[in-house]
Amino acid sequence: MEQNQSPEPVDPLVGLPVRSVGGQWAPPGTFATGRGPRLFSPGGGTRATVVSTISTIVVLAALAAIFLLAPGARAVEHAFFNPTDMWQSFIGNPKQGYYSVGAAIWLNIRMFLAAEVLILAFALLIALIRHSVGPALFPIRILATGYVDFFRGVPLILVIFALGLGVPALSLPVISSQPDVVYGVAALVLSYSAYVSEVYRAGLNSVHQSQVAAARSLGLSQGTALRYVVLPQAVRNIIPPLLNDFISLQKDTALVGTLGVIEANKAADIYSETVFNFSSFTVAAILFLILTIPLARFTDRLIERDRRRRLAGAAR
Amino acid sequence: MRRLLAAAGAVVVLGGAVAACGSSGNGNGGSSPAAAPSCSKSGIQSLLHTKGKLTVATDNPVYPPWFIKNTPSSGKGYESAIAYAIAAKLGFSKSQVVWVHEPFSSSYAPGPKAFDFDINEVSVTAARAKAVTFSNSYYPVQQAIVARKGTPIVTNHSPAQLKTYQYGDQVGTTGLAFITGHIQPSKQPKVFDTLAEASAALEAGRIDALVTDTPTAQYMAAFQLKHPPTVLVAQFPTVGEHYGLVFAKGNQLVTCVNKAIASLKSDGTLAALQNKYLGIFLKFPTIQP
Repeated sequence: MEQNQSPEPVDPLVGLPVRSVGGQWAPPGTFATGRGPRLFSPGGGTRATVVSTISTIVVLAALAAIFLLAPGARAVEHAFFNPTDMWQSFIGNPKQGYYSVGAAIWLNIRMFLAAEVLILAFALLIALIRHSVGPALFPIRILATGYVDFFRGVPLILVIFALGLGVPALSLPVISSQPDVVYGVAALVLSYSAYVSEVYRAGLNSVHQSQVAAARSLGLSQGTALRYVVLPQAVRNIIPPLLNDFISLQKDTALVGTLGVIEANKAADIYSETVFNFSSFTVAAILFLILTIPLARFTDRLIERDRRRRLAGAAR
Repeated sequence: MRRLLAAAGAVVVLGGAVAACGSSGNGNGGSSPAAAPSCSKSGIQSLLHTKGKLTVATDNPVYPPWFIKNTPSSGKGYESAIAYAIAAKLGFSKSQVVWVHEPFSSSYAPGPKAFDFDINEVSVTAARAKAVTFSNSYYPVQQAIVARKGTPIVTNHSPAQLKTYQYGDQVGTTGLAFITGHIQPSKQPKVFDTLAEASAALEAGRIDALVTDTPTAQYMAAFQLKHPPTVLVAQFPTVGEHYGLVFAKGNQLVTCVNKAIASLKSDGTLAALQNKYLGIFLKFPTIQP
């Protein structure tokens, strides 16, 4: 919000004041967003709203027409959007052979939360190892690099299978007798940590070397400089891509269903194959959207806030 | 002018409504027996997916005793033999039967089908009959338990004891529905995408037992799952379940196929094929769920 202190809004790229077509300054906070017609026609807001409303209606109507007027529209509507089937699959009825999709999504949420915490910690560890410079750490760096290469390259579903079927088959004490969900979450953590560690590493690399030099010259140790100077800046830079990965993680919890665990997607599958109707998948899709959209909007807000901060810096 | 437009609009709406009624009328007419054509080979040509051919679908892979060596076109295995017997009754030679692969989960998707009928051990239920048209029964099914030899369920399977085990099954099967509906175990069953995955879980000891139709269960116990050895524990009494061929909803060909099945039943072919392919699989004690 520093731009408010500046007398005129300044285009960060050109370095000159931004002047709207109508001769008025764009309202603080909205300038140079590239959004909204107000930037160019402060007086034409109403007209712009009308135009955008009409065009939205036309586009939505065209899409609806394609869906409703297609020759097989009735069949598709019955198979995918039948309210009775949607409700039945949402509440479930084990006596009829299917489980509640609505209850099953809770398992996805718990898997996601557990995996997310572990990934944040484990991926940071991997990234710090790969970021380290000490010659004594060379073998660990090689291991960490191999780990990232391997788990980024192997499809997640294969990792889930390998852990979920392979580890119990080893018949080891404790390790081999865990619930399937544990193997599923472990596979998610292994696979996603490889991705997320690279995001962390990009964040660490984005902090200029002079920051470390400055911190060291103040007498901070390598570790303290990392903890108090490098990491805070690195993490702030990578919050949007981190959240992006976590939106993806929320959906990928559905893959744990391949181990026999009844999560939302599996519950929908059971319903579908039991009564020959796909509406249960629509229910699962809606539930996943309800989960992911808030996180997506939150990510957008963080990106926008971060962008404003940087622009404010450039404007000064 | 405006009134004229409104009138024109009303005509369009009315026309749409009439067209809609017309099309739904045709749909209903499709399943009424009065409109059924003659079941001669020439009479059913217009109903076929490909003229002159009988296109039969099944999953891939398929297992004994329903199909042998994953080759539906061999004529060996109960379902393969049934398909060719029906084809013969309808007047098709063996070379006029075309096999296509259709995964179970897409066999009931809306829209045009890539087959005349699907034969894939699909149990007939009222809910499923809303999405597809089923033929009459070509096999009455009973469910049976498969478990590892020497595990508790092999000897302890009173109705109360049955509730205490960890079950697993393939998604969407009537075996799974039997577990949740009739056994009603205290632990949630594990549900796998394929029977092969459920079998792997049984072998690995991740589940105590799985429930599937008796012929499949016996085939698994006798030939498929030997490391460690498994056994068919017992079968459950019939609940009136039977297998039917899957047709696109409203496909009139079902009338002719039902006639063929009825004649296979009355001339003893059905019983003979069951005896030939499923006979050794069917002598097991029956227990209550």
